[in-house]
Amino acid sequence: MATMGGDRRQMMEDVAEDKFPEGLRILVVDDDRVCLMVLEALLRRCKYQPTTVMDAKTALRMLMAGKQQFDLVITDVRMPDMDGFKLLELIRLEMDLPVIMLSVDCDKKVVMKGIEHGASDFMVKPVRTHELKN
Amino acid sequence: MEYANLRRQAASLKRSLFDQGYLDEQFCQVEDLQDEASPNFAEEVVSLFFKDSARLVTNIEQAMEKYPKDFNRWDAHMQQLRGSCFSIGASKMNNECTSFRNSCGEENAEGCRRTFQKVKREHAILRQKLESYFQLLRQAGPARAATRPGSM
Repeated sequence: MATMGGDRRQMMEDVAEDKFPEGLRILVVDDDRVCLMVLEALLRRCKYQPTTVMDAKTALRMLMAGKQQFDLVITDVRMPDMDGFKLLELIRLEMDLPVIMLSVDCDKKVVMKGIEHGASDFMVKPVRTHELKN
Repeated sequence: MEYANLRRQAASLKRSLFDQGYLDEQFCQVEDLQDEASPNFAEEVVSLFFKDSARLVTNIEQAMEKYPKDFNRWDAHMQQLRGSCFSIGASKMNNECTSFRNSCGEENAEGCRRTFQKVKREHAILRQKLESYFQLLRQAGPARAATRPGSM
């Protein structure tokens, strides 16, 4: 991903090498309660620490408030109050957090859009355990 | 051995749901997430799914009435429903959702109406089958009882 900065690449490599094994603090953003429930359980099973929110604005408020620290954000591409890509952009501007985009479709255009906006990775629903471990 | 029998019935029902394409592997993934801390996780997720999906189905119905030929709007609603279907492995229902979206893409209102009826039908069928499945499991009791022979 040519658009990724050096720091982010290092962080993604760290994640890939499992330098952030247990306790990874993940903020999950999705307006679908069912998806959130399953994803949260999946992340806990992987020994991560997920926090779930249902809309982008709440996610941003939590991130800005800084009361809770997060290592990673996973967000759905499509949400009612704010486009997932917009959220991605805002997170990238404000803080140096890797963001994984989550989508129902594997539409190439959507994936490219994610990469262009600076997404660290892209996952297609339904998410499987082995994908999260990577 | 009543519990073992119920358990067998539940397993058999589940197998048939897979064989007939109602459910896919994602459902196993959901059941897999059950543990001592969340012993009823699968049932809770499925229950939430039917609550939310019923609402989404109503939204689509209303949208189709209130905004005739607003295919983008109909499609956006169906996208939401599809996302939920994916999360629990509701395969057949998902297929009908896709057909609906295809009709939206073709701007085929009659096609949309037809496929929407199918979505509602699959929704109702799946709900009934999964309710039976979880009822059998509840009657069969916790898994521990089944793995300790002679304890009943």
